[in-house]
Amino acid sequence: MSTALQNLVNQPYKHGFVTDIESDIAPKGLSEDTIRLISSKKNEPEWLLSFRLKAYNKWLSMKEPHWQNVTHNKIDFQEISYYAAPKPKKKLASMDEVDPELLRTFEKLGVPMHERAALAGVAVDVIFDSVSVATTYKKKLAEVGIIFCSFSEAVQDHPELIKKYLGTVVPVGDNFYAALNSAVFTDGSFCFIPKGVKCPMDLSTYFRINTEESGQFERTLIVAEEGASVSYLEGCTAPRFDTNQLHAAVVELVALDNADIKYSTVQNWYAGDEDGVGGIYNFVTKRGLAKGVNSRISWTQVETGSAVTWKYPSCILRGDNSVGEFYSVAVTNNHQQADTGTKMIHIGKNTRSTIVSKGISAGYSNSSYRGLVRITPTAEGARNYSQCDSMLIGDQCGAHTFPYIQVQNSSAKVEHEASTSKIGEDQLFYFSQRGIDAEEAVSMIINGFCKDVFQQLPMEFAVEATKLLSFKLEGSVG
Amino acid sequence: MNGAVRDDYLSHLLQSWHKPSSSTLPWLNQLRTEAVDCVSTLRVPTAKDEEWRFTNIASLTKLPFQEAHNTSEFSPTDIEHFYLPEATTRLVFVDGQYAPQLSNNTNEDDVIAGNLSTLANSHSAQISLHLGQHTDFRNNVFAALNTTFLKDSAVVIIPRNTTTNAPIHLLFIATQQEVTNYPRCLLIAEPNSQAVIIEDYVALHNLIYVTNSVTEVSLANNAHINHIRIQRDSDKAFHIADCSVSQERSSHYQSMNVALGANISRLSLNIHLEDEGAECTVDGLALIKGQQLADTHTFINHAKPNGTSRQLHKCIVGGEAHAVFNGRIMVRPNAQSTDSTQSNRNLLLTNKAQVNTKPQLEIFADDVKCAHGATVGQLDNEEIFYLRSRGFPEIDARNLLTYAFGAEIINRVPVASLKKQLEQTVLKHTQSTAL
Repeated sequence: MSTALQNLVNQPYKHGFVTDIESDIAPKGLSEDTIRLISSKKNEPEWLLSFRLKAYNKWLSMKEPHWQNVTHNKIDFQEISYYAAPKPKKKLASMDEVDPELLRTFEKLGVPMHERAALAGVAVDVIFDSVSVATTYKKKLAEVGIIFCSFSEAVQDHPELIKKYLGTVVPVGDNFYAALNSAVFTDGSFCFIPKGVKCPMDLSTYFRINTEESGQFERTLIVAEEGASVSYLEGCTAPRFDTNQLHAAVVELVALDNADIKYSTVQNWYAGDEDGVGGIYNFVTKRGLAKGVNSRISWTQVETGSAVTWKYPSCILRGDNSVGEFYSVAVTNNHQQADTGTKMIHIGKNTRSTIVSKGISAGYSNSSYRGLVRITPTAEGARNYSQCDSMLIGDQCGAHTFPYIQVQNSSAKVEHEASTSKIGEDQLFYFSQRGIDAEEAVSMIINGFCKDVFQQLPMEFAVEATKLLSFKLEGSVG
Repeated sequence: MNGAVRDDYLSHLLQSWHKPSSSTLPWLNQLRTEAVDCVSTLRVPTAKDEEWRFTNIASLTKLPFQEAHNTSEFSPTDIEHFYLPEATTRLVFVDGQYAPQLSNNTNEDDVIAGNLSTLANSHSAQISLHLGQHTDFRNNVFAALNTTFLKDSAVVIIPRNTTTNAPIHLLFIATQQEVTNYPRCLLIAEPNSQAVIIEDYVALHNLIYVTNSVTEVSLANNAHINHIRIQRDSDKAFHIADCSVSQERSSHYQSMNVALGANISRLSLNIHLEDEGAECTVDGLALIKGQQLADTHTFINHAKPNGTSRQLHKCIVGGEAHAVFNGRIMVRPNAQSTDSTQSNRNLLLTNKAQVNTKPQLEIFADDVKCAHGATVGQLDNEEIFYLRSRGFPEIDARNLLTYAFGAEIINRVPVASLKKQLEQTVLKHTQSTAL
């Protein structure tokens, strides 16, 4: 491996800065009182409080899972502050009222907000440490009946929708971190596409953890009614801190008859330094329910950040002819660990799913693909195709594959393929023959390796992802 | 025995265990004593253990059968049809006990084949070096039980530079109802040796019993072993087996595992490529129907550079049967230039049949070629249609296609008479389950 690769891998984290805004922080620790405090601060209805308390009681009886192929320091759940909101909390009438410090932060991150938002055609619901401070394009979306707002607003303005769908895909006691999230979530995004509406633009949210020691527990709920369709983008960056921060989000998608939801993520939380100190623990539960006939749920993710990632965006294909897709690129470097994959649960007839997963490990990192394809006895004619490829850069890293395939219907066809490879000396030689240096060659090879996934991303994200990958791996091959 | 045994099942089994009287072989006594201590620290796995997630052995733990003591009566002609004419060496074990009167050794090469009791003194050094050293009985309760009740064992030693063309047949016959048999095999291949060994489990009648077997195979430098393991226990029996293989430099281990019988069968096959340039080929076929469950767990451990492994495992599942496959391939940090492929193909014949498969890769070296694949499917309607358009009745068409699916594995059996027996079994199987 040449020095070019070394440098590629060792690039400092570009988004590491702390915005100095006075935060409204709840005292550390988790108890029923903390939950009541969060609930009352957010002026929540009684049923939501009981939802939280039910989750909390479930959580108390659950144990932290240990089956993942990752190791990390023990998390002290009493050392986390469960509520942090930027101080100027008065209602904002326009973008000009937004704290200029905050705007500068987004500026540095390159969030397209003002004109840039218009140019990019993106409506951004910005999450800044749990509380949504500015929502753009809301009006335009409201004209066609789309609701796109922060979760707390939705609780106030559309409680009947939240009550109807919240926890229907990820039940409160689903797993340890989902239960924790259900108990203490502070904010997130809510999106509702009514019957027959095709969302005229890509919806986008940027998440950012700002206050040190405030774990972020957001909650996203997207509902697409009959015949509706939406493409939702989520981008994540976080500033650098030396203590590990916990991020335990829950995302629920519901697609009714003929609805189509496409959910794309670029995750670039702080991954810790070269020695594996600091970084985010990203323990996320994402699940989509393809409830109606001919519905479609598609997950695309580019995972480049976090010290430890533990995430399995899943599809429950309940409607007949429903379709589930999962496209993933996971890049790990230095001491990062990623255990990610998907679950495809086929229940309806003629359901189809596709899994394409690409893992790239460099440095001392470990990346695992863990997937489940389950064909239940009712899933007549179900079809699955899975492909998971790994690429190793350096001899200290690891790549692992744990695919579970469970078939209970003889009319199903399931295929799984996996391979592992490295960037060969002969490939680099071929490029250098053509006058392309090692660094560029590696970038091209990696982009080629990930092409199947990148072409699923919306245009702006594809560009961002390509850049992200090349600076993530700068200097790791040569 | 130290401490209390945690499981009722285990304590029932251990009731009949007596501290072996100090025999002339202190190492064997020590091994058994260590094993019984292991049993008391281990517990019987349940579906909550990842390795046993899909194989529920609760029904087995309700049947704490003791060892077979009295010998059963049957005439040698009852078992003659299990004999393989090609095999000049045949070791027969009845309910786990060596039966010299049924065994036969007319091998002209220098192969040493016999039971532990007769060979323990003459070959003590070699046997003590390998017996109990390859299987991980300290972490596997069934292997620990087998070692605890280790009284006799089939022992085959292929001496240095010896090539034997005639297959060696190890035949384990179950003849008694409600007993646990503990068959044990030790296969030692010295440098540059070559042999074909067939490990065969059969039942005289349709009996309920438990087979808990452990096989240890050691391949020295450049040894070539073709190991065929046929499990055709009775449909009501339980078969729990552990087969552990250690390979030295440039050795070649070719393995075939065929699971036909048993109500619940589980084979853990662990192959350790412990030195450079070792190769292994692992083929498997599970052919099950009715309420059967066949579980195959394989672990191929590439510990050193330039190793090669090839694996093809097929399952044909009819009735309400359930096939489980877990193929784990590990490439250790310094095992560069490893070349490994694994393929698992499953054919479901009925709607109630079930398959759980998990081909698992764990790779810690960068200069490797590793690929695995798994498929689950049914017979292709177009292929059936094609055959029907050529005048095959539907059932014959299905049988032919199912047979062809299994034949890919069976055709690799190098012993003609055994191949024929297996072909008949596959044909019979599809006829009784199709449609």
